[in-house]
Amino acid sequence: MQQYKKTQYKLILVLVGLPARGKTHISYKLNRYLNWIGYKSEIFSIKGAQQNNDGFDQKIDYELEIDPANQQFVEVRQQLSQIAAQQLVQFLQNDGDIALYNGLTSTKADRQKLKSLFKETLKLEYQTFWVESICDDPQVILNNFNESKLSRFQDKTIESFTNHINVLAKDYQSLENIENLSYIKLINIGKLVKVHMLEGYLCSKIVSFLLNLHANNRQIYLVRSCQTEYHLLDKIGGDPELSATGRQHSQQLGDYFIEELKGNKNITFFSSQMKRGIQTAEIVGEKLGIKALKTKNLDEIDYGICDGLTVKEIAAKYPKQIKERKANPLEFKYPRGESFLDVIHRVEPIIYEIERSREPVLIIAHVAVLKCLYAYYHCNQISEIPNIDIPINCVIKLVPIPYHCLESRVIIK
Amino acid sequence: MQGCNRSQKIAICTVGLPARGKTYISRKLNRYFNWLGYKSRVFINGNYRREICGTECNSQFFDPHNETAQKARSDCAKMALQDLIQFLKNGGDVGILDGTNITRERRLQIESDLKQSFNGIQTLWIESICNDSKVIQNNIRLTKINNPDYCNVNSDEATIDFLNRIKMYEQIYETITDDENLSYIKTINVGADIIVHQVYGFLLSKIVSFIMNLHTYPRPIYLSRHGESQYNVDDRVGGDSDLSELGEMYADKLADFFFKEFPTKETKNEIIFFTSTMRRAIHTSDVVASKLDIQPLQLKTLDEINVGICDGMTYTEIAQKFPSDFQERKINKLGYRYPRGESYLDLISRIEPVIFEIERSRQPVMIIAHQAILRCLYAYFHQNEIPEVPTLDIPLHCVIKLTPAAYFCDEKRVLINPQTGEISIKEEYVQEFVRSKSKQKSFIDL
Repeated sequence: MQQYKKTQYKLILVLVGLPARGKTHISYKLNRYLNWIGYKSEIFSIKGAQQNNDGFDQKIDYELEIDPANQQFVEVRQQLSQIAAQQLVQFLQNDGDIALYNGLTSTKADRQKLKSLFKETLKLEYQTFWVESICDDPQVILNNFNESKLSRFQDKTIESFTNHINVLAKDYQSLENIENLSYIKLINIGKLVKVHMLEGYLCSKIVSFLLNLHANNRQIYLVRSCQTEYHLLDKIGGDPELSATGRQHSQQLGDYFIEELKGNKNITFFSSQMKRGIQTAEIVGEKLGIKALKTKNLDEIDYGICDGLTVKEIAAKYPKQIKERKANPLEFKYPRGESFLDVIHRVEPIIYEIERSREPVLIIAHVAVLKCLYAYYHCNQISEIPNIDIPINCVIKLVPIPYHCLESRVIIK
Repeated sequence: MQGCNRSQKIAICTVGLPARGKTYISRKLNRYFNWLGYKSRVFINGNYRREICGTECNSQFFDPHNETAQKARSDCAKMALQDLIQFLKNGGDVGILDGTNITRERRLQIESDLKQSFNGIQTLWIESICNDSKVIQNNIRLTKINNPDYCNVNSDEATIDFLNRIKMYEQIYETITDDENLSYIKTINVGADIIVHQVYGFLLSKIVSFIMNLHTYPRPIYLSRHGESQYNVDDRVGGDSDLSELGEMYADKLADFFFKEFPTKETKNEIIFFTSTMRRAIHTSDVVASKLDIQPLQLKTLDEINVGICDGMTYTEIAQKFPSDFQERKINKLGYRYPRGESYLDLISRIEPVIFEIERSRQPVMIIAHQAILRCLYAYFHQNEIPEVPTLDIPLHCVIKLTPAAYFCDEKRVLINPQTGEISIKEEYVQEFVRSKSKQKSFIDL
């Protein structure tokens, strides 16, 4: 697997925090990101342990329903937490690279116990990094609650939920330096961030990633550049200009966005540096009164020796490559060109930019590049990338919300 | 990333007691921004003070109760800030104010002045805190003793006086607090703890990542081109040719050289070894790798500059086939982009993640790559001006060893004769470089 960097050790990311502090949200986002950049990553949680085990009552939410007085609940919770940790160790002993743990970690004692469990059972070199999410801004807590908890637990009101949390908060112990753990604390969704004993390539990357997260649910529009004469000739690659029809379609695209963005000029607007990308973006940008930032990171995949040939010509000239590509479309690299994995790596800074942006994002690029971007939001496995459908003259609108991503597609006629 | 928004001005101000690495951080950041193509400059309070108040100021000058001295110092600080603001007004992108700025009052005044001068300016405060006396002593030894303030004093006296100076500052030191409502980063004990408060924005976020990765371990960086390739022999550009016979001999001799450099198994295992995905680099690296029993990481990021439609041509052929492009490149080698290919500026943008990786590493780094790529990497560490990049001398069959010292880089060039294995060494030491630089009178630090 061609990754940017394969680490020699396994990584365990442990989440810490009271309910409705965004732990699950953070773990989903991290897991998605790590899988996308090529690591085998998985989340292990109390909920997960419960769902995979019929021996437990599936109707009770053990992550949420914590009543410190109810001894049976406490025991079941501890059990589930332990099962999750054991499954995590199994995963890493096999071929897992990174495991995220969302279990019992609210007290110093819990954490030391977990640390010992890993030390005793994990027979490989590993590193642990602790990610704590803290909220003391009531508005933020309310938003978190409305976004996720209500749907998970219908008959809880915000009042009863808050009382619940206050009970838990009494026993909660925030991470302290004296525990000798490597950690990051995110306070009020990144308004304040504290990092302690940061070490290693992967943890540095994860910290950079986490610094960009926020809770704004803004739209992301993915659009291909419009028609060129290469489309008509069935040629791939190249750097052709828009055809007359392509320019017309760009105008219609512009009109669509005028309505959609409703005069918002603060959007994050990117295009590639290929002629068709620049031209489409110029026409759309003129209609909206904004200029796109042009970046080579969004250029189409490099087709190497196949650049500028028609599909038929490639089949005739390079049958061996066609076979190779069929066998492994994700890792196949065009000779003197790129593979999808290279494109993912190339497009990673754009993902950081999209994550960082709290305003709508509009991206004008090309098929292979957009497949990679789309996969970050929608796919659980990057092996799905080659099969993603990114049609021309179609605006793909993604709205990431906690644990999901809403999608809608509009064909521009 | 190319194409990022440059319309916003940025002002970075340091905070901290003397000998806490403020100048180190300022210069590193300045270096980073200039290399990425931003117009950046450092304005050092201390230099202004030296110029105006003279260099023989002992610690009494820094007594907070010494009113005349206080006024003089305050005026100097104001001048530095004014010059920074003027720089930004005249087309500068990033202004870095290198000063102690240890009181709330001073900080709030500076913040207010900056915000009033520009609409939408982004300000970032970087506080360096250190309570590890070993680190502080080391900082003093490395940078202060050769400082113009102590040129007529022996080093023991200088150290005592400097420690007294620090005590003066400690009397009035106020660490940044959240209610000052500033965007800040606090780095504590060289990055053991980092606190980030209200830092938003593309460039500011980058600064946070950059600072998190800074350290002061003096680890060496080895740069070498692949051995001579077939295309080198034919004088062609681009391509993915293999090594020539001479190139293969170099690979062997290079492996021998590194084998001697890293004698023990421990030192060998520590090496961070990068190469590109091109045949000539991989083959050179493989020979080194097998002799040292280590594994190189093949990064496409280190592939040679993409020469687009000129791939496989000689310079003569390019001059004949694409005369106007040939001319254009001669005039602007830095910005010229080969059609369907890249420019040096694209390269710089492309290899930025590798720079981060090298900065972050505390172990020796070994890179076997290509001429244009190494020109960009070398320029970053050696602090060359960006227009020089396309013409830097990075010959074949030569290992360049860079050892970052306090503010600059020591360099050692090892030219290896691929046939005989004979070695000739050229060394450039920091001390000479620093002495020559400090002779130049300047308030500002380019």
